[in-house]
Amino acid sequence: MKNFYSHLIEIDSIILELDKMDLSKEQKQHLADILDSSLHHTILDAVLSELNENDKKIFLRNVDEGINAKIWEFLNGKVEHIEDKIKKAAEDLKLELHKDVREAKKHD
Amino acid sequence: MNFTSTKPHFENLRKKWIIRHRNIQQNLWDKHKESLTWLGKNLSPKKLVLGSLGGLMLLNSPYQSLSGGVHLAQSKPGILEGFDQNVLLASQLKEVMPEDVRPLDKKEEIDILNILSRDLGIKASAELAGIRLNRNYGLIGGEQHLYRYPGDNLQAHADNSADWAKYGGSGIAPGLGAWGYFTPSKEAFSEKDKQRERYYLAIQTFLAPGFAENVGRYRDFFKFRKMIVINPRTGQAVVAVIGDAGPAEFTGKHLGGSPEVMDVLGLAGGPRKGPVLYFFIDDPKDTIPLGPIKVNNLG
Repeated sequence: MKNFYSHLIEIDSIILELDKMDLSKEQKQHLADILDSSLHHTILDAVLSELNENDKKIFLRNVDEGINAKIWEFLNGKVEHIEDKIKKAAEDLKLELHKDVREAKKHD
Repeated sequence: MNFTSTKPHFENLRKKWIIRHRNIQQNLWDKHKESLTWLGKNLSPKKLVLGSLGGLMLLNSPYQSLSGGVHLAQSKPGILEGFDQNVLLASQLKEVMPEDVRPLDKKEEIDILNILSRDLGIKASAELAGIRLNRNYGLIGGEQHLYRYPGDNLQAHADNSADWAKYGGSGIAPGLGAWGYFTPSKEAFSEKDKQRERYYLAIQTFLAPGFAENVGRYRDFFKFRKMIVINPRTGQAVVAVIGDAGPAEFTGKHLGGSPEVMDVLGLAGGPRKGPVLYFFIDDPKDTIPLGPIKVNNLG
């Protein structure tokens, strides 16, 4: 089962950067998990920020049920261009993470 | 013991990403507190996987897509998986905490203790056996490791290279703790002694009201007395024991924490100090383990 936003966001570019670093498998996994969780919370924030309190609860309940079609039907009915907003939030985060990777490589 | 070399680039990136992750979580909570609290109360606890490792529960889960294929954001079984619920504790404390780092008044003390008892499932107390500390809210500073038995050394404190990388740099204090060695010999050194040094506090026991008149009784009471310490800004909390007396008043700090304690509290970086709450734990049967402690339910 994928997250409702999985089809919108790729994190290959960051994973590839991690692959280029001198890291053990466990260390890569550790960093990838932080990345994954950061992305998850960023996207939740991006979506919730577009909804009123009542709609936030409906959305969270939908996510909890894990029926992606239901989630998108709801979001598309409530927020214009929600996919673009999710992509934008993810891209902004990825830019920051890429910057962190570049700086970390200086410590190689 | 020889340790493998650490990787500064990994440590650099890991620290940055953990801080960023925590900020993202905090931001999420600050902006959507009402709906997230509602969610917490309306989902089964099993779905709200509690945080660990300083709030990054996901760090313990496998990342299936690390190698091969296109990496898409993966699903998680619970909406708040990875959400450190100790953030909720921080949010609750924020409502009753004073803005300044000062001794608590009685009402603040009661309100805070009620929150801690409820969220952490422990019996925390400002007074035990008629003994109180000079304060329960103050600035904690990072301490060094302590010698645990005659012949102990810094490297022996680390179980592995990760331990060494995280805590070795703190060094070891030249003198012994207030109670001397944790155990009289290496042969007698036990897991309990090890945990006590890992999670020890230096407390200004000498400033406790009545100390001068009851030195012997107070010393026995304070020796390895179990305490809970909480970073009220993040909700990170640790159970530790009093392993030393200090710091001196002129330092401006009110207590000290071992390298491991500071790490659990999220205060191991930068100036290695910050405001914390600290209370006795009433645990006569010694059932509460030392180390990080997590919120056990949503308030």
